[in-house]
Parts: sequence; C-alpha cells; structure tokens
Amino acid sequence: MEYESHHLSAAMQTGLGVYFFLVALMNAAFAHYCYRQRQDPVQSAIWLGVALLFAVHGVAFITHMDLVMPEAIKELVNDVMNPVSYFVIAVLGLVAFLVWRRFFTDPIVAWTILQVGLLFSGWSMTDYTFQQIITKPDNVPIVMLIFSVGFFTWLPMRQAIINDDRLARGEPPLEKLEEDKVLVWPDLVYTELICMVICTFALIVWAITLKAPLEQPASSSRIPNPSKAPWYFLGLQEMLVYFDPWMAGVVLPTFIIIGLIAIPYIDFNVKGNGYYTFVERKFAVSTFLFGFVVLWVVLIVLGTFLRGPNWNFFGPFEPWDPHKSVPLNNVNLSDYFWLYLLGDAIEGKGWLAREAPGIILILVYLLGLPPLLAKTIMRSYFIRMGFIRFFILVTLIQFMALLPIKMVLRWTINLKYIVFIPEYFFNI
Amino acid sequence: MAEPVAAGTIAEAGKAEAPAVKAAPAKPAAKPAAKSSPTRRIFIISTLFGSWFATAWTTFTASMIAMLLGTVRFLFPNVLSEPPSVVKAGSVSDYEEGKVDDKYKEFGFWVIRAKDERNRDIIYALSTVCTHLGCNPNWLEADKKFKCPCHGSGFRISGVNFEGPAPRPLERLAIRKTDDGFVLVDKSRKFQKEIGQWDDPDSYILV
Amino acid sequence: MALSEFIRGSQVWKSIFRHPAPRDRRNRVVVMLTNVFLHLHPVSVRKSGIALSYTWCMGGITFFLFLVETITGVLLMFYYRPTLEHAYNDILSLRDVATLGILRELHRWGAHAMVISIWLHMYRVFLTGSYKPPREFNWGVGVILLVLTLLLSFTGYLLPWDQLAIWAITVGSNMARATPLLGYEGPGAKLLQIGGVELIHSGSDARFLLLGGRFVGETALLRFYVLHCVAIPLAVALLIAVHFWRVRKDGGISGAL
Repeated sequence: MEYESHHLSAAMQTGLGVYFFLVALMNAAFAHYCYRQRQDPVQSAIWLGVALLFAVHGVAFITHMDLVMPEAIKELVNDVMNPVSYFVIAVLGLVAFLVWRRFFTDPIVAWTILQVGLLFSGWSMTDYTFQQIITKPDNVPIVMLIFSVGFFTWLPMRQAIINDDRLARGEPPLEKLEEDKVLVWPDLVYTELICMVICTFALIVWAITLKAPLEQPASSSRIPNPSKAPWYFLGLQEMLVYFDPWMAGVVLPTFIIIGLIAIPYIDFNVKGNGYYTFVERKFAVSTFLFGFVVLWVVLIVLGTFLRGPNWNFFGPFEPWDPHKSVPLNNVNLSDYFWLYLLGDAIEGKGWLAREAPGIILILVYLLGLPPLLAKTIMRSYFIRMGFIRFFILVTLIQFMALLPIKMVLRWTINLKYIVFIPEYFFNI
Repeated sequence: MAEPVAAGTIAEAGKAEAPAVKAAPAKPAAKPAAKSSPTRRIFIISTLFGSWFATAWTTFTASMIAMLLGTVRFLFPNVLSEPPSVVKAGSVSDYEEGKVDDKYKEFGFWVIRAKDERNRDIIYALSTVCTHLGCNPNWLEADKKFKCPCHGSGFRISGVNFEGPAPRPLERLAIRKTDDGFVLVDKSRKFQKEIGQWDDPDSYILV
Repeated sequence: MALSEFIRGSQVWKSIFRHPAPRDRRNRVVVMLTNVFLHLHPVSVRKSGIALSYTWCMGGITFFLFLVETITGVLLMFYYRPTLEHAYNDILSLRDVATLGILRELHRWGAHAMVISIWLHMYRVFLTGSYKPPREFNWGVGVILLVLTLLLSFTGYLLPWDQLAIWAITVGSNMARATPLLGYEGPGAKLLQIGGVELIHSGSDARFLLLGGRFVGETALLRFYVLHCVAIPLAVALLIAVHFWRVRKDGGISGAL
C-alpha cells in the first residue's frame, strides 16, 4: 500500500480528480444536448448517469483514496500488446471504421468511444510507468495529436456520410448549399482574429504550465537509452527496425514527398472537388487514411510511447527495463534459399549468385507486378489513367506497401533482408 | 586533446578532388561525341554554338552551372578543427582478456584483448559507432555483448553483429604497439570484417 | 468620441487609411483592396468556404504559428550564441535569468503545434479534394512547405545543445550517410572513384555537407543555426507568398471553378 501511494502523489490524485470532474461536466453538457437538440430523454438520462459515474471518480480521487488500476487489467494489456498486435489492431480498426463508417460516425457511438478512451486514460494515469511517459513535456504534443487526428477523422467522415446520402438522393452536397458570397470584412477577418486570440491564449497557458525540456549538456560519450529522433520523425525511426537507413531514411521519405506532390496528377477522379465525400472517392480516401493515420501517426505513437531502452517494445504499463532482452535472430532470404531450401553452402558464392533469389523477387515485384495489375484487377484504372499515370500510381503504392510487407515477413518468418549485399551497402 | 588541428587528410583529399570533380563531367561528354558520327557532332556543336544567340545562352548556362558547383564545393570545409586522430591508449599490459572498459569510449573506441578466430591472443580497437545509424552501443557485462540503445543491434565482443538491424560488424581501428610498449590507436584508418580487412596485421596487436 | 473623430480626421490618419471606417458595404470592399496585408484575401468568399466545420482553420493557424515562431525566434536570438562554449548556458539563462522566461517555451510548443496543424491542414485539403484542378500546383507548394516546416523544427532541435538535441540530430543526420551514391555508407558510393581514389568518403559525403564535419560538433551547430534562423525561414516566407497568391488566383481555397 505504501509502495503504491508513493507512486501516486497527492498532486497527481488531485489533478486526476479535477480531470474526472471536467469529464463529468462534458457528459452533463452532452446529456443536455441530447435532451434539447435530439429530443431524446432516454439518451439524456444515460449520459447523466455517465456524468454521475465520472463525478464519483472525481470525488474519490480528490479525497485521495489511493485508487489505482487493477494489476490484472494492466497485465492483460501488457500481454496483449506487442508490435504485431499493435499494428494489426490499428489496421483492423481503420478497416472497421471505413466499412462500418455509418455506425462509427454516429454522434452517440463516437461519444461513447471518446468516453471509454477518457475513462481508460484517467485510470491509466494511476500507473507510475504510464504517467512518467505521458507527462514528459515533449510527449504532450503526441497526446494532442492522438485526440486531434481522432476528431478530425470523425468529423469529415460524418460530413462525408451526410453528403453521400444527399448525392444518392440527387441533391447537391451541403457545401454547395452555401454558394452565395459573403464579404471577407467582417466575416472572415473577425473569425481569424478570434482564432488568433484563442491560439495565443492556449499557447501562453501551455508555455506557463509546461517547461521546455532541457537535459544534461551534450556529451558525445554518454548516450541516452533510448535515443529517439524528434517525435515527428519517429515513424521513420520505426521503419529503421525493418529497413536499412538508405531505405528508411532516404529512399522511402523521398517517395513520400514525391508521392504527395504527385497526388493531384494521378488522381483523375473529377468528383469530390470541394466537399467531403467517401463514396465518390473510396480508393483515394482509403489509401490516404492508411498512409497518414496508420503508417504515419500510429507509428509515431508506437515510437513515442511503446519503444523503450534498446528500442525494445514495452507495453503501456511495463516499466522500461534497460536489461530487458528480446532475442532478435533474423535470417536473410539468401540463407533461407541456399541453406534451408537447397541445403547448399552459402560461402564462396559471389554476391550476385548468392543474392539472385532476392534480386529476382524485387525485380518481379517492381517491374512484373504493374503490368499484371494492369491486365487484371486494376484494368479499368489502367484504361482510364493511361500508361504513365498508372505506372506512377502503382509504383508509389508499391513503395508504400513495402513497409507492411516487410513487417509481415519479419513477424512470420524472421526475415532480415530480402537482398543482402553488404559489399556495396545495398540491403533491402 | 581538443586543440584545433588542421586535419591533413581532409584538406589534401579536398584539394586532390577539386580538379577531379571538374574534369569528370567533361570526360563522358567528349567520349560519345568522338565515337558517334561526324554529323551528330556537328549537330551538337551547331545547336550549342550555331549563332551568337546560342553561344550566349550556352556560355550563360555553363557559367551558372560552374557557379553552382563552386558554391556546393564552398560548403565543404577545407580545414577542420577536430581532435587529432592518433590516440595513445595506455600500455599493452593494462589489458585483461575479455574485459571491456569505457575508458576510451569518449575518443570513439574500445581497446579489447580477446582470442580471435584462430585462437590467437590479440588486442584490437573497436569503433564505438554502431554500423546501423551511428549511435554508440553499450557493453552489457552480464550478457557479454554490445547493445545499441537506438535500435537494439547486438554485437559480440569481437564486434561481429548477431542481432538487431545492424547490417555488418563494428569497425576496427588501426592499432600498433610502440617500442616502449604503449598502444597507439589511429582513428583515421578503419578495418571492416566483411571485406576481409580484419586479417590486416595493422588491425590488431599480437600479445 | 470627439477624440476619435479628431484622430480619424487628422492628416496623419488619412495618410495611412485612405478611406472611411469599414462600416458600409463600399468601405468593406475598399479596406480589403487598399491594405497590403488584408489584400492576401479576396474581397468576398463563398459562405461554405469559411465554415469552421469545413476548414478547421488549420491553414490559418499554421500561418499564425509561423508568425509566432518568427517573432519569438528573433527575440531568442538576442540571447543565444551558437557556439559549444555558450549555447547550452545561454538556453539555461533564457530559462532562469531572463525576464519573461517563457519565450523558449512559446517557441518550442509553437513549433510542435505548427507541425500538427500543418499535417491537419494537409489532411483537410486532401479530404475535401481541394488539390484537384486547378489547384494541383498549389498542393505541391504546400507539400514543400510541409517538408520545410519539419526541417525548421529539426534544425531547431539541435540548438539547445543538450543530450536530447545532439543524439536526436546524430540519429537523424546519420541517415544522410546512407544516401545512395552520395553518402559514404550508401549503396553505390564505392562505385564513384577515379583511379582508385574514392570520391565519397566520410570527409566528402552528404552528411559531411550537412554537418560541415565528420560528427555533430561546432560546425554542425553553426550550420543548423544559420539554416534555422535564416535560410529556411526565407524559403518558407517566399513559398507562403506563392501559396497564398495561388489560393486567390486559383479561385479560393477549394471547389471547382
């Protein structure tokens, strides 16, 4: 008991109490909204109950009752979490969101998800490890990022569904209803002014409450463990687990930039210009969501919160033990091919002969797959886009897919490199 | 140690390079022209220098490219104020077999005494730069391995990689014994195992 | 009332604002046309184009944060010297000694917020299909601005010269070492040699160019400082001008013409 209370300081408990009261207030407001706007007394009663539940939490924490999250739940979460399950859950979550978008964007469902998230976050803060990581000043932006990306994925999808329904009925999208022009002064200018004032206020509060981090003076001999790149590059650093620096640090980022710039030139769909829609741009929106939300934001969250000393994976409640040892015995494709498949010796082969299977595989992937796709499942795209656009599109998607492909190969058969030519630093 | 010393190797390499870089673009341009038919050569020349106007544009473009290359070259410093590359690392008798200590880690290497593949007793200097992304691994005495904190690469005491993303073994540095029994490490010369350089007698001291 | 009438009627006021207060329709149009800053906007916009639920105001917030970063950055420069001897201590004194010791916080949190807001701005532009013709080019300008924002933040990360800074930059800049052909540990670098002399070595590769040395040291600090305070902000300011100009010329923030 004493051990636990040592971990959960009085200030932290008071802070959590205030937090739960604020969440309770939010729910009371939502109950009011359900009653007034939606004319739904049942929903209103439910959310009033939820508000009461959070208020009870608030009282319990503010009176310092030393509540902590049950160990069993923490252990369960830690056991379930690993790089594989984390990534798979993220992908499945996105797919579920897109398939059942009507369900997930319903305000009541979205609100429920948010409240579960807030409840879980609040309880998680009673864990020492979790608290230490979350409250690091430089990690605060990532908490903001999680909530803002969540909200700004929900909001456009909600508007897209409304628009899609309208378009299906032959009506114009919502945005087209307000085609009439208004004067910039005062409408826009004052919106901007208010926005600037709010931002300035928020920034000053943020600056006063949180000190910018400053660690020990730079030293080239004492290296912190883990050493992390700035948070917005942690997605790239996570790619370094699967690729060599020249791929993860140079080639793939270059392709990201080129790919982004190329989007308007390869997206030949004239629909969906100037309004939110999903049905009219299924392929474009799904691909972009996968790239931005899963391959960028989700990997940043992974790199920030779940990668600890020696870049090992740690569950959210698992203490960062620098001596945790995870065996990483990965095998190259050439070893698989020559040693295990053919029972042949790998020594004495030149690099070209040794790596021929991997090189052929990569060439088939990059050069063989596009024509195959053009002939089969993406035939209609090929016809409508023309040769150059189609080829660029497929190449970009292939490079984007390299990361998930390599991830799956690593998880399933411990593959280290598909092509391994250390003589020329050429490893894929 | 930190006194500014002009890094001779860099400065010389820079000087030697400058003409080479300038000469390089000229060569490939000249060769195909010589091989191809005379009409094609005349076509290229007449396009580039056919009129005063074309000559002016060609000269202008060429001088702009030359200026750009010069500016890029300007960004490569000719003199570096980096510490000298040769470090005196105690005497041979200081080292015990299988021990790794971080005394010279701040200089960028470990001096280690261990048995090599042919079971000889050798002393070698292992670079502290991880071959993955240049972090400095830590020696974990309990596991008898170097472990990189950035991405988890693991290396045996010999420097050979066995786990994690590092693509190749740690590099060894040039090392020699002076007549009076001291160990000198030259950080400017590196030896890589994967191209067979660890057999070079300059990369170890036989005890 | 009389005072404000006096000021508005004075020659000085009239020399600055050449029209009456924007209280009627005519003067609300004129104010947009005669003020160089307001002139970034058109005179009138579609009602749907200024709805918060549509734009999320993210582009505007990003620009606002760029201004915040510029102002706080200039102030910080008065107390900061980019040398190994002074850099860390100057940052310490900015925190502990300087009056109003939150300027560095404003600068740092503003930078983080700017990275997030520019991503969300791109997200919104994509989801509304606003990159579609005739705005293809401006989307490209926006992508470059996004990259430059990340580079601004990255170069600024080194300046406090603490452990966090030097190792994040070491990890980040080591990627340049692996650039194909141009980094000395990149694929193909060994092929670039003339008469057995390697052209690309640790003293001549892309990372050396970036750091001005073989490791993250004083020259790297100076280079990152210059990039952070002068070179990249100038490029960003220029591209922002192009970006805003093209928004107007392409017919507003989104929608078919």
